[in-house]
Amino acid sequence: MTTGIELRKLRKLYEGHGQGAWAVDGVDMTIGAGKFITLLGPSGCGKTTTLRMIAGLEVPTSGQILRDGLDITDQPVTDRDMRMVFQDFALFPNMTVEQNVTFGLRVRRMRGRYSEAEIKKRVFQFLDLVHLADHAHKKPHQLSGGQKQRVSLARALVTDPQVVLFDEPLGSLDANLRKIMQIELIRIHRELGKTFIYVTHDQDEAMAMSNAIAVMRGGKVMQFGSPRDIYDRPANRYVASFIGHAHIVEAKVAGRDGQGLVVSLGNGEKVRLENENSAATGESVGLMLRAEDLAFGEAGPGMVSGNVADSLYRGEYIEYVVELNGGAGVVHVHARTDLPAIDQGAAVAVRVNPHKAHVLAH
Amino acid sequence: MRAFGNRPLIITMAMCVLAFLYLPILVMMLFSFNDSQYTGLPFNGFTLDWYRQVFADTRLLKSIWNSIYVAGGVVMLSVLFGLPAAIALDRYEFPGKGLFRRIVMLPIVLPGIITGIALLGFYLVIHMRLSLYTIMLGQGTALMCITITEVFARLQQLGKSQMEAAVNLGANEWEVFRHVILPAVRSALAGAMLIAFSISFDEIAVTFLLTGRENTLPMTLWSLLRREVTPEVNAVATLVVLMSVILIVVGMYASRGQAATPREN
Repeated sequence: MTTGIELRKLRKLYEGHGQGAWAVDGVDMTIGAGKFITLLGPSGCGKTTTLRMIAGLEVPTSGQILRDGLDITDQPVTDRDMRMVFQDFALFPNMTVEQNVTFGLRVRRMRGRYSEAEIKKRVFQFLDLVHLADHAHKKPHQLSGGQKQRVSLARALVTDPQVVLFDEPLGSLDANLRKIMQIELIRIHRELGKTFIYVTHDQDEAMAMSNAIAVMRGGKVMQFGSPRDIYDRPANRYVASFIGHAHIVEAKVAGRDGQGLVVSLGNGEKVRLENENSAATGESVGLMLRAEDLAFGEAGPGMVSGNVADSLYRGEYIEYVVELNGGAGVVHVHARTDLPAIDQGAAVAVRVNPHKAHVLAH
Repeated sequence: MRAFGNRPLIITMAMCVLAFLYLPILVMMLFSFNDSQYTGLPFNGFTLDWYRQVFADTRLLKSIWNSIYVAGGVVMLSVLFGLPAAIALDRYEFPGKGLFRRIVMLPIVLPGIITGIALLGFYLVIHMRLSLYTIMLGQGTALMCITITEVFARLQQLGKSQMEAAVNLGANEWEVFRHVILPAVRSALAGAMLIAFSISFDEIAVTFLLTGRENTLPMTLWSLLRREVTPEVNAVATLVVLMSVILIVVGMYASRGQAATPREN
């Protein structure tokens, strides 16, 4: 028996005007109990629909959802013991903060589970957890966006669900508040040990908070792995370009030497990569080069040469746009701001970090 | 902001419109206190006699009661059927939904006389005796669409997520209705009830065709007026105006109470 949630060939057809379209198209995933999992992708990639199917708010067209080994595909939403935090908070405007949080404990199906005193105690325990005990008597319209989202979170957690679902909960908050709430969510996840399934289009949010990320596109999971896996070893060009700022340079596998794979660029220059063994000699590949893995150095063997086409002052660093010689491609290189500036058009040599560069199948 | 156009002209026009609307009512109210057999000048002095006559006229009082009774029944019918219909339109998919949504306004667009004739023919076919209840049915079916459209519009505004949140927290259908839908549509519902009541109260075309032995106030006034405009009619009309004003004030209070707690965005 597996604990946690398992999605098997989950599909959802949306009937549009004219013909239908697969909003979710064959999602297989195993989400371990107690983990913080993020579904990441642009709008329309099927991440929210997948989440809503897990919650029971949407009915899958085909496929199965398993919970601790039991099929819950047809279980009504009210029986699932999963609570959702909505993007628009979905607080009940006519109720106070306290009444909102109490709602899930007072519904008929929970009757008898907690005494009045326990309800009161639990509600304030969770209002404390989200630092809102002083606002218990307020109505939602008297709260700020961040406070509303905390109420929504407390309301979801108070019923002690094993799984908490988040549908872009920080989407309507400003950038600073988002950062604060991210740290809050990580803390709450650690303290409570529940399974968190989180939907976002914000890759920084996904990277910072999750144990694992599923990158989705067009209703399919492109890659499911730890944030480090997804960032350092993306499975394909889509994931590589969606996460972080990667530049992909066309290359060919030249062969192997004692320490790793050697690939040659379009201009004949060779780059050695360590920890890579997935490609066969002669194969055309994309070489993923991230700006922070590149550095300027002295020209010589193993270096990639090019000319500076542009420079952008970013505050933390200067970002140089480098056109590689022989039309091999364009890369961005980050350089410290206290180093002498490089003029536009200057010839430069770029060193590639052999541990971080990564080849992508064509 | 600078008002555009000619200010004195606009004020004059506004005054004219207000005068055309309210001066006749004021004149009518004035004459209801005139100590004269006829509605007209000269003004012979102040009297409450006409009001005394109204409150002594059992036929008139009975018809006022009938009007309130019918309007109350109409409001009940329109809520009883209109509220579930609006919720069904908002939440559920069913065959013919598109058609239903489009023809729901038909009864109020149709001239009352047509609705009345159609219903009269129908009642005759099914051998239903004409009474206050047939009036209620006739007006209720026509006015139900006000409740449906008002409540439906509010539900569309409300969106799905509050209901989904309630279901997600374990609420059953009744609890969703009681704690999410009803609070959200309360003011829309109250407004629709008020409109239905006031339209029903002075409705004459449908009522004229569907009434049995008992008459509503507009029908009684109509028959009184056929002889002449007596000051007694003025007195009744003044009372109706007074009641309408009270209803409007109550309605405004109700909607202002709602405005103090603005909608969730």
